[in-house]
Amino acid sequence: MIDVSLNEPGATRSVPRSSKSEVQSAPSLTLAELQDLFQRAVMDGDGAILQSIPGNGRTTSDVLLGVYQYAYRGRLADILGIDHPLLKRHMGNDVFDEMAHAYITAYPSNTPNVRWFARHLPTFLKTTAPYDAHADLSELAELEQALANAFDAADEPVLSLVDLQAVPPDQWAALIFQRHASAARMTSRCNIYECWQALQDEEEPATINEPVVNQELIVWRKDEMSRVRIMTTEEAMAWDEVMRGATFGSLCEMLAVYDAPDTAPMRAAQFLQTWISAELLTTASNKARSS
Amino acid sequence: MTGEKPDYLGFGLGLRPQHYSDILEGSPNVDWFEAISENYMIPGGKPLKMLDQIRDRYPIVLHGVSLSIASTAPFDKDYLANLKSLAERTEPEFVSDHLCWTGVHGVNLHDLLPVPYTEEALEHVVSRVNHVQEYIGRPIALENVSSYVQFEQSQMPEWEFISEMTKRTGCWLVFDVNNVFVSAFNHGFDAQSYIDAIPADRVVQFHLAGHEDQMTHIIDTHDAMVCDEVWDLYRASVRRFGKVSTIIERDDNIPPLKEMVQELTIARDIANEIFSEENLAKGSQRARV
Repeated sequence: MIDVSLNEPGATRSVPRSSKSEVQSAPSLTLAELQDLFQRAVMDGDGAILQSIPGNGRTTSDVLLGVYQYAYRGRLADILGIDHPLLKRHMGNDVFDEMAHAYITAYPSNTPNVRWFARHLPTFLKTTAPYDAHADLSELAELEQALANAFDAADEPVLSLVDLQAVPPDQWAALIFQRHASAARMTSRCNIYECWQALQDEEEPATINEPVVNQELIVWRKDEMSRVRIMTTEEAMAWDEVMRGATFGSLCEMLAVYDAPDTAPMRAAQFLQTWISAELLTTASNKARSS
Repeated sequence: MTGEKPDYLGFGLGLRPQHYSDILEGSPNVDWFEAISENYMIPGGKPLKMLDQIRDRYPIVLHGVSLSIASTAPFDKDYLANLKSLAERTEPEFVSDHLCWTGVHGVNLHDLLPVPYTEEALEHVVSRVNHVQEYIGRPIALENVSSYVQFEQSQMPEWEFISEMTKRTGCWLVFDVNNVFVSAFNHGFDAQSYIDAIPADRVVQFHLAGHEDQMTHIIDTHDAMVCDEVWDLYRASVRRFGKVSTIIERDDNIPPLKEMVQELTIARDIANEIFSEENLAKGSQRARV
C-alpha cells in the first residue's frame, strides 16, 4: 500500500475537506459559473472563487489558487521571451518582463495554440506608451515574428530557373509571379537590420538611428532556415509591384520610369533571377490565362 | 464510441525539438515518442518534416494541451479541424489530451485547469468527448491532471468521475502517475485507492515526470527527474494495470537525449521485473494445475 497523504494516512476521501473557519458555505454554482469565477480569479485576482475552494490542511485556499495565478502570467511571459529572445536582450530582463505583463493584460490569449500568442506584440509596442516612442522595439518584434512565421510557413514548390526557361520568350511580358508562403516584406523606419544582427551576435546593439530613407527588408525560408536581407529601394519597389500582380512587362516599364530606361529589362531580369535563386517565388503564370 | 485497444508500445519519451538530430542520427533505445499536438498544428516547415521523419521510424502518439474538453465554451472548430488533419497526416497510435479546461469567453489561459467533479460536469464532459470522438473518427485518450485546488461543489472523487467518463464514452485513459502523486499530496487522498478505482482495461499509457515540492503543496513542473516516491507509485500502477505503454515527459531543464534514455531505463527495468514476477507466478500456477 502506497500512501502519499501526510495528514491522514490511509484516507481515501477526495471530496474537499472544508475547514468551517475558512469556508462558511459553498455557493451553489453551475459549471459555467465556476469556470467564469475561476478564470476571473486567475486573470484579474478576483477572490469570489475562494468561497468554493477549501484549503488543503497545510495551506490556505488563496495560496493554492495562487499557483494558477502565478503560473498564468509567468508562463505567458516566458513564451513571449522564448518567441522574442532578441527583443528581450535589447530591452533587458526587467523592462521586458514589465512589458510582457502589460501585453498579457492588454491581449489575453484567444488562440488554442500558444505559438500565436505573441502575434499582437508589434502592434502593442507601436501603440502603447512608453514603448511607442521607440520604433526599434515594435520593428524588432515584427522582424522576429516574420522570421518565426517564415520558419513554419506552408511548404510549397519553389520556382526554378529551369521552369522559367521553359516559357517561350514571347510570353515573358505577360508573366506574373507568386511569392512563396514564407516570403514577407518589412519596411523599417530605423536601422533595424543592424540592430537585429548585433543582438544576434550578442554584441551591444547598434545605435538606433533614423536613416534618410526607409530600410527595406525581405524575410523568407530556404533550406529549412529563416533568412532576412536588406533590399535596395528599387528592388523593394519591384518586389512589391510584382506581388501586387504586375506582369514582367509592366515591371520593365516601371523600372524604366524609375531609373536608366536602357538597362531596365536587364535589371528586372536580375531581380527575378535573384528571387528565384533565393527560393522566394513559387509559381509563374501567364496573366491572361490565369485571369 | 468503441474501438480496438491501442497496441502496447513499450517505453517512450516526449518528443522535444532539442532531440531531433540525436533521434534521427542515432538509434536511441526508445520504443516510441509522444508529440505535443499543438507544436505541429502549424502550416509547414522543419517541425513537421522532423515529425514525418521520426514517424517513419517510430510509433507516435499525439498528445494535446488545448482540447479544453471540460470547458463550457464552444469548441474551437479550427482547432478540431487542425487536430483531425494532423492525425490524418501522422497516423498516430492514438490521440490524447487532458481532462481539464483551458479557458472560457474566448480566452485561453494555456493551463490545465481543474474540473469540479459534479454530475453536471460529468454529463458535459461525456457529451464533449462523444462529439470529439465522432468528429475525428476514433476514440481519444484523456489524462488525469495535477491539481492544486478542489471545489466544494464536487460530488464525487476524481477517480469515480474518470471511471464513469470512460464507461460512458469508451475513451481511453492516459494515467499520469506523477499527477496522481501530486494531487494525492495536495488534496490528501490515498494514491493507491485512486489506482485501485480506475478501470484497468481502459488505461493505454503511463506518464512519468518530475515535480517541485513546496512543502505545503507540490507543483507539477516537468523540470526534474522522476523521484523515488513516483517510481514506487509506478510499480503499484504496473502491478494494477499490467503492460501499459510508458513515457517520461520533460518540458523544462531538458537534458541531452542520452540522459533521458538512461532515466527511461529505470522505468523499463521496473516494469520488466514486475512482468517477469507475474510470468513466474503464472508459470507456477500452471505447474501446480
